[in-house]
Amino acid sequence: MKGVLLKDLYIAKSNILVTIVSLLVLGFGLSFLLETSALLVLAPVVSTTAVFISITSDASSRWNKNVITMPLSRSQIIGEKYCFYLLLAAGGLLAALLPCGILALFGLDVTLNSLCLYSAIGISSTLLAGGMSLPCAYLFDPEKSQIVFMMSFMASTVIIAALVVFINLFFLVKDHILLGFCMVLAVAVLCFFMSCKIAVKIYEKRDIT
Amino acid sequence: MEYALTVSGLTKAYPDFILDHVSFSVPKGSVVGLIGENGAGKSTTVHGILGLIQRDAGHVSILGEEKLDDRTKEQIGAVFDGSNYPEILSPRKINGIMKKIYHSWEEQTYFRLLKQFSLPSDKQIRQFSKGMKMKLAISAALSHDSRLLILDEATSGLDPIIRDDILDMLLEFVQDEEHSILISSHITSDLEKIADYIVFIHEGKVVFSKAKDELTEQYGILKCGAAQFDALDRSERIVWRKRDYEWQVLVADRHTMQKKYPRAMIVPATIDEIMLLYIKGEKG
Repeated sequence: MKGVLLKDLYIAKSNILVTIVSLLVLGFGLSFLLETSALLVLAPVVSTTAVFISITSDASSRWNKNVITMPLSRSQIIGEKYCFYLLLAAGGLLAALLPCGILALFGLDVTLNSLCLYSAIGISSTLLAGGMSLPCAYLFDPEKSQIVFMMSFMASTVIIAALVVFINLFFLVKDHILLGFCMVLAVAVLCFFMSCKIAVKIYEKRDIT
Repeated sequence: MEYALTVSGLTKAYPDFILDHVSFSVPKGSVVGLIGENGAGKSTTVHGILGLIQRDAGHVSILGEEKLDDRTKEQIGAVFDGSNYPEILSPRKINGIMKKIYHSWEEQTYFRLLKQFSLPSDKQIRQFSKGMKMKLAISAALSHDSRLLILDEATSGLDPIIRDDILDMLLEFVQDEEHSILISSHITSDLEKIADYIVFIHEGKVVFSKAKDELTEQYGILKCGAAQFDALDRSERIVWRKRDYEWQVLVADRHTMQKKYPRAMIVPATIDEIMLLYIKGEKG
């Protein structure tokens, strides 16, 4: 799996670098206008776009076909894409945390509570979007999966809103906002792992030509 | 005889095409050429062997193993037509990737082959010509513990010089009796140069699977007029085709036929001509 991960890192290298620099610039720039930690909502989502660049590249270069003949199982090939997605989301989060940390050192108001809250929202949204779009990348052709990819972020926002409304039935999310979003995060993690299992099932039955 | 690959009853149905109970074998230390016109089922057969498609029926045994596990895959080198690797990568980066995928990856062999083929290590593949991309794919396929090389239309669209370089490399690979090659191609002249056996697929079915020498040494085309054609025994005609002023009849043993019909003109048949007669000719 390490080899395929390295291949994806090579392919997405320039995109990852641009994303990290943009997040750093945006982080420092935002500090003049609003709370810097809000960047944590956006960072993991933006950084995972590189996964779809690698999936498109795999299809256009016919790597998809070649990799099946290598000593890797189909579940490992899919598992790698999910790992890559998680790594990019974590990388994006870290890149966004950097300006927050530096600004906190300079005395700006960055609280642990807000960092945790925005991180939970950002990661939840990323995992839900990935959980929807990654299996579709193996179901549909590249053009359709790009559309699903873009729509999945909108859909994840709707799902998060629905989950908050649902949790609100049991306790007031407004009063325990961090707890509420941690529960949303737990659901998102579960959905992401279920999505991985589904994607493996789809891919194992799929003809690669 | 030991076999590197045995395909028996391989079947795959698509809405508009059926690969119908394809069976053949690749003996160890030999080159088997899979021929047929475009759309005959060559690539579907290769895909079925390599596990790229789900088989509807049939068995495939590779190097004695029915299950295509990682250990077996380690010993298979596959090369497809066109690009095989993301074009943003360079051969050196491919080495780094393959080192982590194949336990038996031989870095020194890979760089030796790159040098032999005059391929730059640090140039992006997108800057390579089609021939260079194919040479790179073959170099990678030969740089691990490959005992069976499977090439699907790997020489299509390449100029004769590059094709000759590649064929030389393939012949070098099978010098060791442990190594075998299955090569699908519609360029039959390439297969005439290197193949030991020819498997001819037409409309998803195996028409014949024979030693190449039998085809080129024994088979012949009898060219005759209407009277002589009518005088031929039906069992002597494999397939035949009527041209403007003559009949062309494919015969299985041209030497025997020449003795039987000393005045008939019987010429050796090329694989191309045999294929053409089977596809366009009539039986009986």
